[in-house]
Amino acid sequence: MEQVLATTLRSAAPLVLVAMAGVFAFRAGIFHLGLEGLMISGAFTTVAIGDATGSVELGILAAIGVCMTLSAVYWWVIGPLGANVIIAGLGLTSIGLGGTAFALGAIFDIRGSMFTDVVLPRPVRGATSGPGVIISEHSILVWITPLIVLVAWIVLRRSRFGLRLAAVGEYPFAARSAGVNPSIVRLQALLISGALCALGGAELSVGALRNFTENMTNGRGFIAFVAVIFGAWHPIGAALAGLFFGFADAIGIQSQINITERVPREFVLMIPFVLTIFAVWLGGLWRRRTLEAEAGYAELREPDY
Amino acid sequence: MTVPSGPASAEVPAVRCRSLGVSFGTVQALHDISLDLAAGRIHALVGQNGAGKTTLAKALGGLQAPDNGTVCIAGNQIPPGDVRAAKSAGLAMVHQHFSLPPSFTVAEALELTAARPESHSVYRRTELYRRWQNEVAEVGGTNVLATRIRDLPVETRQSLEIVRALVSEARILLLDEPTALLTPAATDTLFERLRGLRDDGVTILIVLHKLREVAAVADTVSVLRDGKLVLGPSEISGVSQGQLSDAIVGPAPDADRAIAVEAAANAEQQLLLELVRVSSRESAFEPGLASIDLAVEAREIVGIAGVEGNGQRSLVSVIAGLSAVTEGSVLLGGEEMTSAPPARRRLRGLRLVPFDRNSEGISRSAPLWLNQSALRLIGRRRQFPLISLRQYKRQASEAMDLWQVRYNTVAQPAESLSGGNVQRLVLSRELASGLEVLVAAQPTRGLDFSATNFVRSSLRGLRDAGAGVLLVSSDLDELFELSDRLLVMYGGSIVARFNAPYDRQAVGDAMTGALR
Ligand SMILES: Nc1ncnc2c1ncn2[C@@H]1O[C@H](COP(=O)(O)OP(=O)(O)OP(=O)(O)O)[C@@H](O)[C@H]1O
Ligand SMILES: [Mg+2]
Repeated sequence: MEQVLATTLRSAAPLVLVAMAGVFAFRAGIFHLGLEGLMISGAFTTVAIGDATGSVELGILAAIGVCMTLSAVYWWVIGPLGANVIIAGLGLTSIGLGGTAFALGAIFDIRGSMFTDVVLPRPVRGATSGPGVIISEHSILVWITPLIVLVAWIVLRRSRFGLRLAAVGEYPFAARSAGVNPSIVRLQALLISGALCALGGAELSVGALRNFTENMTNGRGFIAFVAVIFGAWHPIGAALAGLFFGFADAIGIQSQINITERVPREFVLMIPFVLTIFAVWLGGLWRRRTLEAEAGYAELREPDY
Repeated sequence: MTVPSGPASAEVPAVRCRSLGVSFGTVQALHDISLDLAAGRIHALVGQNGAGKTTLAKALGGLQAPDNGTVCIAGNQIPPGDVRAAKSAGLAMVHQHFSLPPSFTVAEALELTAARPESHSVYRRTELYRRWQNEVAEVGGTNVLATRIRDLPVETRQSLEIVRALVSEARILLLDEPTALLTPAATDTLFERLRGLRDDGVTILIVLHKLREVAAVADTVSVLRDGKLVLGPSEISGVSQGQLSDAIVGPAPDADRAIAVEAAANAEQQLLLELVRVSSRESAFEPGLASIDLAVEAREIVGIAGVEGNGQRSLVSVIAGLSAVTEGSVLLGGEEMTSAPPARRRLRGLRLVPFDRNSEGISRSAPLWLNQSALRLIGRRRQFPLISLRQYKRQASEAMDLWQVRYNTVAQPAESLSGGNVQRLVLSRELASGLEVLVAAQPTRGLDFSATNFVRSSLRGLRDAGAGVLLVSSDLDELFELSDRLLVMYGGSIVARFNAPYDRQAVGDAMTGALR
C-alpha cells in the first residue's frame, strides 16, 4: 500500500506539472496539444545539458529556455501566421518526439536510452518500510509541485493577470474592449506553459529516473491534457485529476508486479487507461450542466487567432 | 493639439476625427467621416440599421482600426486601434452588445475593466466584493456581485455595461443604443444621470433610434446614412423632426411596406395556444410562473405588459419548450405539448422571436443562409433527405431581401451583421410560411424607425391572415397600438386583463403591483 502511494506521487508529479501548463494555455483559449512535445524536449535538454555541464540546475534552466523558445515559435505560428491551433500543436509534439530522438543519435550517437549521473536532489531518503516509504526517495520537484499548483491557482483565480487571461480565452472582444491585447496575453500564457512543461520533463528524466529514453513521455502530455479537461480547467481540479491518473498508473505498475501470474499481462496494462476513460465519463456526468452553459457561449469566440 | 482637456478649454473638441474610413471587404462601413464633438455636451448619433453607427463608435474608441483618417480624443491623437490610448485619454464605451465574459462573476468583470491603476496584482475575493458593492447597488444589490454574467438577464447585463463605463470616471462616454433594453422609467433615469454627467463636464456621444429620446436628452444631433455623415453635428433646436427623419431615410424612403405572410390559417382551429394553470420554477432573476392561464386565438394579438423581470422570460421559454413546466399544461392548436421538444412545437406552427437575438436567435459563427434556412431543415424527416444548397441559398437571400437585411453575401457569418440587421434576419426566418402562432419578445428592439413600422404592420398582417400573436414588450405605446387584448404580468402571474381602448393609468398601476 505504501508503495502504491509512493509510486502515485512519483507518477503524478510530471503529469500535474504539465497539466498546469495545459491549464494556463486552456484558459487563454488555446487547445494545447503540443504539451507532449514540449515535455520530451524538456526531458532531453535537462539530460543533455545537465550531463555536459555536470549541473542539474543548468540542465533545468536550459530546458526551460528551450521549451519557452519552442512555445514562442508555437505562438508565432498560431498567432501572427494564423495556423490552426490543433494542427500546429500536434506538429509541435511530432517535432519534439522526433527531434529529441534525432538529436540523441546525431549528438551523442546513442539509440534508445542515454544514462546520466546528474540527478535532482531527494530531500527525504532511506526508508524501506512503513509509512516513511510514502515520502521517501522523491525528487525536490515532487515536493515543490503542490507549491506550484498553489501559485498557479493564485495567478489564475486571484490575480488581475488571471482575469485578463480568462477574458482572452473566453471572449476576446471583452478583453480587447478592456484594453487588453489578446495576442500578447496568449504569448505570456504559452511562455508560462512552456516553462512548466520543461519542469515536468525534467522530473521525468532526472527526478524519478536517471536517463533519457526515446519517446519516454509515452503519451503523458496527452494524459495531462485530459486532466485539464477532466479538472474543468481549474488548477486544483486539474491537479487532482493528475493525481488520480498517477494513482491509476501506480495501480497498474503494482499489479503488474503482484498478480501477473493470474491475470494476463495485457489486461493489467489496460488498467490505467480503463480508469482514465471511466473517470472522464464520470467527470462529464458531473459537469454536464456547466458544460451546456459553456457551450452556449462557445459562439462568442472571435476567430482572431 | 496638446492643450489639456477639461471644461475650461471648451474650444478643444473632446472628440475629433478627420476623413475616417472603415471597410469590411467590399462593404464601405464608414466613408470619409470628419466630425468634431464639443466638450461637455450630449451628442446624439442616429441612422438606419447598418448605417455605421457602431463602427464609428468603435473607431473612436480604438476598438476598430480605421483604414484611413485620424482620431483625436481630448487633443491626443489615438494610434489606430489602440484601446488603451483611447482609455487613458479618458474615453469609455458602452457597447450595443454586451462585452463582458459570460463566465466571470460581476465583481471579476468590473475588476477586469476597471481603469484605475492597480495597487496589487493579487486580490482577495472579499476585497473585490467590498470594492464594487456601491457600484452595483442599482443593478440588483450586492448579492449580484457573485453572480456570473451569463446568469444575468439581458437588461441587467445592459445596466451593468453602463455601470462599468461610469465607474471608470471617464471624461468622454460613448453609448451605443443603451436604451434598447431599458424600460421607459429606466431610460429616464439614465438620461437624468447623463445630464448630471454633462453638467460635470463629461462629453457624451449616444446612439439612439427613437427621435423622441433624441429630443429628450441630446444637445446636438448627427445623422449617418450608408456610412456617410449627412447631417450635423447640429444644435437640436435648429433641426426639425421632419428634417431629421428625411436625413435618416434619405431621398428614396421605402413606401409603407407590409410583408405578405401567408399564415397557415387553420379554419376549424380557433384556439392556437393555450396555457392551463402553468407553473414553472423560478430562475436566478425572475419569478417562475404561478399558475398562469392564457389563451391566444386565431386572428388576435395578445399583448403582455409588465416591468421586466416579472416572469415574461419564463413565460416565453415555457411556451418555446426551453424550460420545464412543473404543473399545468401547454397546448398548441389543441394538441398537448407540455413536454414536447421545441422542434415539435415548431412543426405545429409555433414561431419565436427571442429576447436575446444574439445568443438565442442566431448562430453567430454560421453563415447567413444557414441561419436563415434553419427552420426549413427542421422536420424534414419525411422528405427527401438530400437538400439543394443552391435553392436554400436562393430562398435565404430572397427572404432577407424582403426584410431588407443589409448584407454582403449569404456566406458571411451572422456576427458580421449590424445589430438591427440581426433582428431582421431573425424576423425573416420566423415570420415565414407555416406560422400559426408567433411569440414575439421585444420584436422591434434595436430596429430603426422604418423597420419598426415594417414589423408592426407585419404583425397586423399576420393577425389578419389568421395567425395568433403573443407580443411581449416593454414599450407601452407599441402594446397599446397593436394589442387586441392586453395582459399584465407581475411576480410571475397575470394580475390584470384589459381590452382596448386602454387606460394608461390603470395598466401602469397593474404593472407596479398596485392591484394586488
Ligand atoms: N465585422 C464585420 N464584417 C463585415 N461587415 C461588417 C462587420 N461589422 C460591420 N459590418 C457592416 O458594416 C455596416 C455598418 O455596421 P454597423 O454595425 O456600424 O451599423 P449600425 O449603424 O450600428 O446599425 P444598427 O442600428 O443595426 O446597430 C453594416 O452593413 C454591417 O453589415
Ligand atoms: Mg449598431
